[in-house]
Amino acid sequence: MAEPEPVTQEEFGRLCEFVYRRTGMVFTEAKRYYVQRRVNDRMAATGATSFASYFARLRSDVKGEVEQFINAFTVNETYFYREDHQLRCLTNDILPARTRDKRKGDPLRIWSIPCSTGEEPYSIAMWLLDNWPQVDAFDIEIIGSDIDTKVLEAAEAGIFGRRALMRLTPDTIDRYFHKLDDERWMILDDLRQSVRFTPVNLVEPGETRPHGQFDVIFCRNVLIYFDDASRRIAAENLFDNLAPGGFICLGHTESMSRISPLFDVRRYADAIVYQRPMEGARG
Amino acid sequence: MPLIRKGANDKSAADVGAQGDNASLLLGGDRDQRWAAARTLADYPDGGKALAAALPNEQDPRVREAILTGLIRHPGDASVTAILPLIGSDDASVRTGALDALRAMPEALAARLGEVLADPDPDVRLLVCDLVRVLPSTEASRTLSDLLDRETELNVCAAALDALAEVGGLEARPALERCAERFAAEPFLRFAVRAALDRIGAPSPEPRG
Repeated sequence: MAEPEPVTQEEFGRLCEFVYRRTGMVFTEAKRYYVQRRVNDRMAATGATSFASYFARLRSDVKGEVEQFINAFTVNETYFYREDHQLRCLTNDILPARTRDKRKGDPLRIWSIPCSTGEEPYSIAMWLLDNWPQVDAFDIEIIGSDIDTKVLEAAEAGIFGRRALMRLTPDTIDRYFHKLDDERWMILDDLRQSVRFTPVNLVEPGETRPHGQFDVIFCRNVLIYFDDASRRIAAENLFDNLAPGGFICLGHTESMSRISPLFDVRRYADAIVYQRPMEGARG
Repeated sequence: MPLIRKGANDKSAADVGAQGDNASLLLGGDRDQRWAAARTLADYPDGGKALAAALPNEQDPRVREAILTGLIRHPGDASVTAILPLIGSDDASVRTGALDALRAMPEALAARLGEVLADPDPDVRLLVCDLVRVLPSTEASRTLSDLLDRETELNVCAAALDALAEVGGLEARPALERCAERFAAEPFLRFAVRAALDRIGAPSPEPRG
């Protein structure tokens, strides 16, 4: 099948506006090639013969095309124990601070958003089991969320390739995975069952709010895709989803201080993280 | 395995519901109620009006932040009008919040920039110089050049030069040179003009130093 005609300037503008309104993600002219590639893929998948017919299908959400389209736009490459300095910070500093006033058996809630194909929430679970002596003392709930429903299905399935496991030691792989063949490993069922996955659009308060409040949120490498307004909305949603005194971990190139003044900066030995002030602590 | 998996979603305490009394709550509720009301009002098509009305008297930084975010979601002249007075605040965090919010609504701001750059308060003019960067570069260059031609405050000129060095083009050269002449007795400003000329690709023959 021949490549479709490139989208015109006006079509590109309308499409980017549509993506922005639905997801908060901003694509400028510099990303035109990236956008065109994904439009071509979706046009081929749906049998659309022109951009106009595809865009009409998208706007009418025929057969859930909006979800398919958004799935095509998200970047999902990740691996286990990525930015493991934050995991060290989690067990060395964040959890001790969060559990100081908790009693044995109290809930401890951790949110990984976006979680992509599950490497991050599963990494958190594995790290806690291996590195936090108090892991048995609390009811730890880990939730992984993403706007991309396809990756959530993959996360639930818990099957990973060699590249996703590259940072894990052979011993860790042996303990937490079941080898399917030379290229695929499945995470053990107990661990798989310990993480719940949900679809969430980070800039939609109606979707984030029902998840309740967390002790720790990992929100890495997603705010960089948003414009200023969407970043602020996301930051305020995350603020609502943190318990007072709760912590948020961003990607190493991201800074909450440049997005919102709502959080306090906490500099620990392994990572800089952000904290929702305790009630009455300021403001 | 100590890690647990929960079934049902939790109900958030922050859920205030989308009731019509949010505008009243925004004016008279406690901090958490005002915060939630501001965030809810941002979702209403005409919520900007109530947000704009509440902004001048809101003293809590967190609620103010939510109001500003809500106004960003309702970009327009009414939102700009509500935010502009905050630029003159004595509180740096209020000024910064206002500038960030205005920066996030470039089209609505553009229509008011000329007026704000003529504000009698030089501190306001100085801060707004940075906002001119939101305009398309040719327009930004022209706006800053016009300001340079009439501005009497040294620090405002310096702020304009700083922005021009980034967004200006060769068309700004005459205004830059006139500025250097007007402030010939100010070595700092002459230096800033030369630096800006270098940056826009129109190096001055006058040596540095």
